[in-house]
Amino acid sequence: MTQTVAAKTPGRRAEPGPGKGAKRRSGSARKRLSDPLLGLLGVVAFLAVWELLPRLGLAPQKYLPPASEVLAALVRDFGLADFWKAVGETMAAWAIGLAVAVVLATVLGLVIGMSQFLRRATYSTVEFLRPIPSVALIPLAVLLFGVKMESTLMLVIYACFWQVLIQVLYGVADVDNVAMNTARSYGFSTAQRVRDVVFPTMLPYLMTGIRLAASVALILAITAELVIGSPGLGHEISLAQSGGAISGMYALILATGLLGVAINLATRKVEKRVLSWHPSVRGEVAA
Amino acid sequence: MRILKNTLYLVGLPILLLALWALATSGAPNFFVPTPATLATTFGEVWFDADRLLDDVLPSLGRLAAGVLAAIVLGVVLGLLVGMNRTLRALTEPVFEFFRALPPPVLVPVLMLLVGTNDAMKVAVIVSGCVWPVLLNTIEGVRSIDPVQNETSRSYGIHGLPRIRYQVLPSAAPTIMAGVRQCLSIGLILMVISEMFAASSGLGFTIVQFQRSFAIPEMWSGIVMLGLIGVALSFIFQSAERRVLRWYHGLKEVENAA
Amino acid sequence: MQPETTAGHAGRTLPEGQALLSVRGLKKVYKTDAGDIEAVRNLTFDLGRNELACLVGPSGSGKTTLLKCISGLLASTEGEVRLDGQKVTGPPKKMAVVFQEYGRSLFPWLRVADNVELPLKNAGVPKDERRKLVADALEAVGLAHVPKSYPWQLSGGMQQRVAIARAIAYQPEVLLMDEPFAAVDAQTRADLEDLIRRIHRDLGVTVLFVTHDIDESVYLGERVIILSSSPTVVQEDLVIDLPDVRDQLETRALPRFTELRHHVYEQIQRAKKGHRPEAALQK
Repeated sequence: MTQTVAAKTPGRRAEPGPGKGAKRRSGSARKRLSDPLLGLLGVVAFLAVWELLPRLGLAPQKYLPPASEVLAALVRDFGLADFWKAVGETMAAWAIGLAVAVVLATVLGLVIGMSQFLRRATYSTVEFLRPIPSVALIPLAVLLFGVKMESTLMLVIYACFWQVLIQVLYGVADVDNVAMNTARSYGFSTAQRVRDVVFPTMLPYLMTGIRLAASVALILAITAELVIGSPGLGHEISLAQSGGAISGMYALILATGLLGVAINLATRKVEKRVLSWHPSVRGEVAA
Repeated sequence: MRILKNTLYLVGLPILLLALWALATSGAPNFFVPTPATLATTFGEVWFDADRLLDDVLPSLGRLAAGVLAAIVLGVVLGLLVGMNRTLRALTEPVFEFFRALPPPVLVPVLMLLVGTNDAMKVAVIVSGCVWPVLLNTIEGVRSIDPVQNETSRSYGIHGLPRIRYQVLPSAAPTIMAGVRQCLSIGLILMVISEMFAASSGLGFTIVQFQRSFAIPEMWSGIVMLGLIGVALSFIFQSAERRVLRWYHGLKEVENAA
Repeated sequence: MQPETTAGHAGRTLPEGQALLSVRGLKKVYKTDAGDIEAVRNLTFDLGRNELACLVGPSGSGKTTLLKCISGLLASTEGEVRLDGQKVTGPPKKMAVVFQEYGRSLFPWLRVADNVELPLKNAGVPKDERRKLVADALEAVGLAHVPKSYPWQLSGGMQQRVAIARAIAYQPEVLLMDEPFAAVDAQTRADLEDLIRRIHRDLGVTVLFVTHDIDESVYLGERVIILSSSPTVVQEDLVIDLPDVRDQLETRALPRFTELRHHVYEQIQRAKKGHRPEAALQK
């Protein structure tokens, strides 16, 4: 059963072949596994190597337990209240820190971005403070807050603030001058201009900033807990390591990774959802 | 007149902040925050010391450089191999995404166990965290190369290593550079952290020592030092990026003007 | 007077050994999840040495597919292509392609001269010879004054000239052009058409020029191969008996030009309506 080839759309040239609807199979006779299946295969292979390395003596079993042991420890953890408490603590620091940073950065970004004077006046300061690594603040955090969650929050907020601020500034700078002048000439108040012109333009950038900040927040939260000892998964990991519970330590690390993956997926989903209403120009600026 | 205006914009806010800081600390000596003057003198005392530079600062920076360079080479080479092969890409994607999502410092305890607490461990920590942004960005950069470019190479018989050198790498360069930038900031973080655990020298170790012994102005001078290093790295990266990607910036300018 | 054409679904072929480019029974079927799609059913024609042939057809007649198969970029399902007697299995050394998307085909990180030089460098041509070939090619397309510019600093027409220079510096026997002037404005297109005729005359290279522009095909070609609608066969293979020396104003004003273009236009309209040559209907 043959069909006619779909007409080419003018301008943008696509690869020769069937129209948009049909998916192309590989031309060769060799059967190809689908991508998700290959991905699963990759994960299985990775676990298999992890299982075999210690068992075959290629890696010290004391320091690298086989995958099966670690996975068993993880499953055990899922039943422990203490584990979920630690997860909760990490997530709390993550959420609060992220939220505070986003609100602060958005407000400040809007205020600075909308005024040429402020933009120019703050440029040097922002460019200087931006690259300062948040770990530099660790001693200060310990001094001020000790091993409480506030230490974690301080680091998380500091790091996330800059991520979001930069994106918001780029977003506001992207506002179409024509649109802005139109709004002004129609007598829109500042608040209205912000709501109807600036905010929609800035939104894609803000979402990018939030996505980047979400993963940075987790990194800093875990780092703070690991190094300072504030409550959370990071602290549990260091406890497990110093207490010799090596399988448990790996299990917690695995859990942290899974948490990171979950956060990445969730923020990507939210981003897609929020921006489905804004098919405007998207621009990811390298942060 | 214009130069004066630009200079004012450049230093205006910083000077204002400095003044506020001096004012805030001018009363009774504050335990947590030293005066700007104290900090300046302490900074000079602590960091312009030959021993300190040789024993702590230079080795730390050396490890950072080694780790970052290794991560870049490893990331680009692996990224090229995986990026150009669709099967490999599909096989490795979930595992790589997992490692990308793993907060880098979390591997410090693991590496301490496996490698020990020596220089090798510190460099390994940096590599283990820095390789992922470079690797994943290289894969993405290679994967998203314009098919017309690939066809052009094929039609002129440009294959293998020459193709990588003349077409694939330059085309993926903008994305790879974005990964290198992330790599640098992660590297700095890991350099400091790796020295906070079971270390006896280095920048991170020194700063932690200051904090533990409540040498507050010295601790602040360490924070400033780290900040300066961060700024310097960012500056170096931006200059390098501007040169390597001069064609890309030119291209974008033309496109945006259209 | 009726133009000289071939009947049936095959294009004009030459005796053994005289053809430079030989296409026999070319067929391309795409396998998709929704079933097989037969883009090209049966294409047969020869190109002799030093010929300038144009390929026209309605939208979706597989022109690009055909060109990709001939140039070795795409494997055909059935049939074969021979260049100088050798079967084409991958992009052959004696063939160069000029793509429609000049902006995406030129490498933006290389200057104009470097872009033109790259295929030669890759082929191991010695430096001095390379320099000369590049200079000659840029001269031939009228771009001797911009070797150090980047492609994106140039206009669309100039970029396409760079792509053409790159192709001719490569010294191919056959030059394949895939709707190269479709994305260029009319005035520039006229200049580029004349450029192709000049290059063809001066360098003696065989050109297969794919286009959807009927006027262009008649103005440029010594011969126009008209494709049917998909699944594609040769609808007609038409000789263009216009004078060798062509001029945008004079030639296009000739009554013969109008006749020929009228004929081609008619054929394409029939092809669009689904009319297929007699022999093909027997399949």
